[in-house]
Parts: sequence; structure tokens; C-alpha cells
Amino acid sequence: MKRGAGPRRTSLFRKYFATLFAAVVAPLLIAGGSEAWLGYRDERARLNDILNAEARLAAVKIDDFLDGIREQLGWTVQLPWSEESGERHRLDALGLLRQVPAVESLTLVDAQGRERLFVSRIGLNRIDSRADLSLRPAVQGARANGAWFGPVRFQGGSEPFMMIAVAGNRSSVGVAIAEVNLKLIWEVISGIKVGRTGDAFVLDGPGRLIAHPDINLVLRADEAGQRPFQALRGAILDRPGEAATGRDVAGETVLAAMAPIPSVDWSVIVKQPLAEAFGPLYGALLRTAALLVAGALLAAGLAWWLAQRMIGPIRLLEDGATRIGAGQFDHRIELKTGDEFERLASRFNEMAAELRVSQERSQRIDRLKRFLAPQVAELVDRTGDDSVLDGRRVELVVVFCDLRGFTAFSVRADTDTVIMVLRRYYEVLERAVNAYEGTLIRFSGDGAMVLLNAPVSVPDPALRAVAMAGDMQRDVQELLAGWRALEGRLGFGVGIAMGPATVGGIGSEGRLDYTAVGNVVNLASRLCDNAQDNQILVDLVAAQAIGAASPLVPLEALDIKGLDQPVPVFAVGTHGTQPAK
Amino acid sequence: MRFLRGTFADTTHRLGRRGFIALAGCASWTASVRAQGLPVIGYLGSESPERYASRLAAFREGLADAGYTEGRTVAIDYRWADGQYNRLPALAKELAGLPLTVIVAPGGAEVALAAKSATAKTPIVFEMGGDPVALGVVESLSRPGGNLTGVSSLSVEVSRKRLEFMREVRPTASRFAVALNPRSPTSDTQLKNLQAAALSLGVELVVLKASAEVEFDAMFTATRDEGAGGLVFSSDPYFAYRSQQLAALAVRHKVAAITQSRDFPLAGGLMSYGGDFSQSHRQAGRQAGRILKGEKASELPVQRVTKVELFINLKAAADLGITVPLSLLTSADQVIE
Repeated sequence: MKRGAGPRRTSLFRKYFATLFAAVVAPLLIAGGSEAWLGYRDERARLNDILNAEARLAAVKIDDFLDGIREQLGWTVQLPWSEESGERHRLDALGLLRQVPAVESLTLVDAQGRERLFVSRIGLNRIDSRADLSLRPAVQGARANGAWFGPVRFQGGSEPFMMIAVAGNRSSVGVAIAEVNLKLIWEVISGIKVGRTGDAFVLDGPGRLIAHPDINLVLRADEAGQRPFQALRGAILDRPGEAATGRDVAGETVLAAMAPIPSVDWSVIVKQPLAEAFGPLYGALLRTAALLVAGALLAAGLAWWLAQRMIGPIRLLEDGATRIGAGQFDHRIELKTGDEFERLASRFNEMAAELRVSQERSQRIDRLKRFLAPQVAELVDRTGDDSVLDGRRVELVVVFCDLRGFTAFSVRADTDTVIMVLRRYYEVLERAVNAYEGTLIRFSGDGAMVLLNAPVSVPDPALRAVAMAGDMQRDVQELLAGWRALEGRLGFGVGIAMGPATVGGIGSEGRLDYTAVGNVVNLASRLCDNAQDNQILVDLVAAQAIGAASPLVPLEALDIKGLDQPVPVFAVGTHGTQPAK
Repeated sequence: MRFLRGTFADTTHRLGRRGFIALAGCASWTASVRAQGLPVIGYLGSESPERYASRLAAFREGLADAGYTEGRTVAIDYRWADGQYNRLPALAKELAGLPLTVIVAPGGAEVALAAKSATAKTPIVFEMGGDPVALGVVESLSRPGGNLTGVSSLSVEVSRKRLEFMREVRPTASRFAVALNPRSPTSDTQLKNLQAAALSLGVELVVLKASAEVEFDAMFTATRDEGAGGLVFSSDPYFAYRSQQLAALAVRHKVAAITQSRDFPLAGGLMSYGGDFSQSHRQAGRQAGRILKGEKASELPVQRVTKVELFINLKAAADLGITVPLSLLTSADQVIE
């Protein structure tokens, strides 16, 4: 039974636990998950905006650098060329070199496109070489658009240079062409910081690195080494306006955005390590995850506790039921949950108490059965009422009977024959007692004592007693007819007396007997003693109770030991033989 | 020094007596520094620590930019040639024999070349004027290739500009003296450049040579004797490190002179035009720092210091009876009054 109950109990606990746990964790997970997802989307959008803004800002800064040079160049193309203006132009040009460190050399061209002045930091200055530069793209470009930006070249295969040409607002002022060392953008680009460690770099149209916080990467002018930059730009161009993820030169995953500088067809790209960019988000996710874990643990604890609370009483009840079922009726289920379980437990306890009472009763009845006629015992059993066994005084019919000459027979016969004879004799008596609902109090040797009307009331007890005694005589005489061969003096007599007597269970704890106490018992016993073989003696009270229902023959009054006067005696039957004195 | 002494004591304790004797036999300071586990820079100087003082300061700034502090996170083992450039190869060999992380060879092509011939293994950071590719120090500026990288200034390239400036100061003169150090690896290139410049400027050159201090005086005398408008010094570290001496001579001989180093006008000379050495030495410090961090010299492009500065001493000009033209004053980065 325990083996069968084990798995079922576990599964119920699991069911409760799983249900309660799921009830708490599922909403928690849904809330946490959706928050994380929304957080990621918002953060991604926010980063997109930030990086795009940073890229535009960086582009503005780079553009400012170029614009600054262009503006400064503008000052050198204010004055129209004349024979006297040479010195003024020279001073302007030298002033520009002094002002703008990025300009390595400056060429001033007059309205006809001839070189009028060349000043350099490194080479010798030239004045009025009048070389025709009118077909140079710089001159033509500047004249057409006001300003012209040449392609980037890497001097000595290393340093990026670019030509910037600016035309004045009148053709007579000519064109200024500056050779600009783009290495100096480094100061601008290294000043741009995105977040904590993010930075910016600049690519020209063909994708060559022009500016990077690590100047070495620029100076290396290494096509293969610059592929990651181009790949990053490609990734951004694939989805315009959105920040893209990619890898930088160091192989780190970065989030990058781009802004163009249209005048020179450059791209300014800002990047931030993904880990840093998403740092706050990761922090938030981590917090959410921690909360989820904490929530799940709490839910598990709660579910455990609740399931335990559910299952604990059930286990107690089950255990109690098992014990009670096993017969421990004094077991009590201690449950103070204040709910249905407690009610159920008290029902169990009540049941146990009732079972105990009924067990005690059935034990008592079992004991009763030993000296009650089976019908009587059954009656007591059926009604469940053993109060009949309580001591009380009733109008009683007592029947005594015994065998005559049995002592001599038992001496002569062998033991087996004696036992067999007694067994047959007892069987006959018992059949008769049972037939008339009498109560067999005891056999003692060859005698027997039988009560009628106690403990179970029967109608006409005296008449019944006579009828019963008649049956006994008839059957016993039949037996005796067979046994007289062994002992000729064998006989059987019966005495019946009626009167009030005290009946009840009398005895100690170890041994309880149901018996009757009173004169009537003595009388019945004396009548039996006085009865001759095949005779049934009845006292006056019984005879009166019988009346005419059965033929009785009055006999001489008998002197009974313990009684002062002779007692009237009747014999059952149509003729009477005076009993022996 | 308590810390160092403690380390030293620990070291000797650990090494035991034999170790201690061996240690005492060596350059004990370096050994104890090495015992601390710091990376060590070998520093090869062509002059004395005093002459290098401002350059060293700039170099240490550069190291600091890269996150290194001498004595704390990096040790420096110095070798000084004290102006005797022929000692450089031996000193370089000495450094090459030490377990160094990087050798710094600043102060000109001679130092760089001495270091280069001493080792092909230990990374070398140079600092020099002139074209390192033309001098065979590196394969290319963008990818040096070997174990050398460094910083190059424009000092050598701009020696012709000095002649141009001198001509502007003395527009009427047709002869100018040029001072060359024949021992310098760049002297031939510079002379060619100067001669080409003289040709285009339409002036005559008097070439004076000096490779030792004792010859300095003669140059100034010769300038005056030849009737030259001024003395133009080619770019050469030997001259640069002796700017005070040259300035004193220029003042004494009343000679208008221009050198590469700002120290010259600051000490009373007339003018200087050349690369900013504090910038180039600082860059050298940064380069050394990057090598200390594990980058390969062959992968580090040669850095060119593009800044060239013009210093003019107006007091010297006045003493020489020179009116400095407006164009020069406009171009000057600093005018000393």
C-alpha cells in the first residue's frame, strides 16, 4: 500500500509545485522578456540617433578644417594682380603659410592662369615664373566652382596630401592653389570621441584612409590593412541612415555610423565598440535577468511552501488513515491548519474514535458469543447492544439437567469413549438450547445449566423451557438407549424453576462469565437432582406460568435443602412418578 | 633610492655570494633594474647628457604620452659618445649585446646608421633629418621593413631655404659661405641642394668644411675673408649641438649666420630655420613607447615632423646692421627682440 501511494504522492506534489511555480514565473518571464526586447529596440534606436549625430558632428568638424583652409586661401585672392602688387601678394602668401600649418606650399595664379608666386616651407620660393597653369585642373576647377578640392595623394607613399584651389570673386584676382598636408587632420580626428572609447576616421572616395586617431594606420597607406574600414563603410551604405555593426582593424565588433562630406566626397565614420555602446543595455538586461532569477527562486520557494502546505496535511491525513486502517484507533491526526484539512482531520479522528468504540463492542460481543446461544449472540451482534449483559433482575426460567450413573460409566469406560459420549451429549443439548433460544450458561461434567428470558427476553419462557427439556429428554434417551449396553444405570433428568434472579456478566477482567444468582437457580438445581431418569420436574411458579399449555402432573412436595417448607413439584407429562428423595 | 637598494639587497640575497660577485662585476645598476623586470631602452647619444638635456626631456614626454615613466615602468640604459662620432659604432655594438627591448638612436643619421649596423634584431627608433629611405636606413616610409623605424624631420631638406633667407637678409651680396660637416652622411646631398639653390638664386657659394670644434673659428674668419654676405650652416647635429659656441663665434666675428637649431638665435645668433627638435624627439619617445607595447618596428611607419620653424634674433640683426625685411618677419615663428 505504501509502495502504491509513494509515486502518486510525489506526482501530486510535482503537479502543485509546477502549477504554482508556473503561475508566478510565466508572467514574470513574459514581462521580463518583453521589457528586454523593447529595451533593446529603444536602445538600438537611441544609439542609432546618437551615432548618426556624432557622425554628422565629426563631418562638420572635418569640413570646418577644410573650410578654414579654403577661407584662409580666400584672403590671398582679394587683390588684383598689377606690377606693384607683387610684394603685397608675397606677404599675404607668407602670412598664410605662417597661419595655416597644414599648407605646405602655396601657388598664386593671375587672371591669365600664369604662376605669379610660389612660396614653400621646404622648396625655394619662386616669384613671377609666369608658367602657364591655366589648363591645370586646379585652376579650371576653382574658376568654375569657386573652390576645388583635388584627389588625395600619398607623398612618399605615406603622407596624405591634397590640393585645394580657391578662386577670387573676380577673375582679375586669380587663383590660389595650396598643397595641404592632411596629416594635420589628425588633431581634429583625434579630438573626436564617441562615448568612452569610440572614435572616428575618414575615408576618401576610393576608400583610402585619410585620417585616423592612430596616425600610423594612415601613414602605412596599406590597401590590405584598410579593408576593414572599407567593409565597415560598405555595411553602413547597405542600410543608409542606420548604424551598422562590423569589425574594426583590431577585430573588435563595433557599431558605426557615417556622414558624408560632399565637397570632397569623403566619408566620416564614427564607431563605438559594441560592448560599450550596449553597455547600459547589457547592464539593464543583466538586472532584468537577475530579477527574473530572483523572482523565479522566490516563486520556487513560494510554490514549494504552498505545495508543502497542500501536501503536508494530505500526507498527515494519509498516514493517519493508514494507521487507523491498520487498527491504531487511538491514533489522532494533529492538524491545525484552520481550513478544510483540519475539518477533514477531525472527521478522521471522529471516525477513529467511533471505530474504536465499535471495535471494543465487537470484542465484547465476541466474548459474549462463547456463552450465548448463536441466535442470541447474533441478535446482540445485530443490534450492537450488549447492555443485555449488564447486571439486572429479571423473571427467569432456569433449567438444570444431568446424566444419572455417568460417574460409574466414566470409571468403567475408556477415556476416548467418555469424551465421545460427552461430545454427542453436549451436541444434543446445544441443539435443543439453540432451538429454543435458551442461554447455555455452562456444561459441567454431565450437567448443564440453561437460562431462558435472559439475557434476551423470550415470550413464554416457562413453556419454552418445558418444550426444550422435552426435546432434550427425547434425544438424550435415544443416545442412552445405545449406551446402556455399556452401563445399565445411565439416565437423564431435568429440573425447571422460574422466578426472579439477578443476571449479568460476573467476573474479573481476565475472566467474565454470564450467570444468574438467586433462589430460583438453587431450586432448579435441586429439582434436577431429584428428577428421575426420563423425568422433567417443574416448580410451582413455572407450572403456573405454563398453565394448561402443557400437561403437568402434580407430585408430592419436596423438601429442598435451604428451604423451610416443602416445595410443590410438578412433572411434565401425563403420568407422574414420584421422584426419589 | 631606498627602494632600489632594497631590491639590490634582495637580489644579492637570492643570488648568493657567487652571484653577488658576478653582479658587482657588471654594471650593477642596470642589473638591479633588470631584476625588477622592467623593459629596458638602450639610448645611444652622440653627445653628452648635458647637450642632450632638452632633447631628453622631449623624449621622456613622448614616453609619458605612451604611458611610460623612466625608473618606474621603463629603465633606460644610456651610452654617450661625447661628441666623438667615431665611438658610436662601438657604443651601438655594446647596446646590441644587451637584452634590450628597443634601442633609441636619436640625433642624426650617423647615430641611426651606427645602430643599424650594430644589430638587425633589436628594434631601433631613430630621430634624424634627411630622407631615411635615401640614406638606406629604411626600405620605405610607410613600411620600414627591418628593425628600424623612427622620426624624420625636414631639417636636411630645408638647408636651401636657409640660403634663401640669408639672401633676403643680405639682398645685395652675391657670395655666401656654406658650412658643411664632411663626416655627415647627408653632406653631399645638402651640398648639391645648396648649389642648385645658389644657381637659381644667382649667387656664388663658398664651401667651408668643419668636423671638429677647433675648425669652427676658421669658418667664421673665412666667411669674412671671402667677403661672403653670410654663413649658411648645413643641417648637421654636430653643428646643432654646438649652437651656443657657434653663436658666440658669430657675435665675435660679426658674421650673419643661419643654422638649423633655434638654440643658435636664442644664444645670440641671427637666424635659424629647421625642424622642431622637441617635436621630433617627443615623437621618437612615442614610437619607442609603441615598440615597448609590442608593436613591430617594421610595421610602424616613419613619422615625418613637418613643422619647420623660423627664429630671428632682431638684436643680433641690429648689431650686424641688418634690417630684417617684412617678409621674413611675417614668416618668422618667433622673433627675439
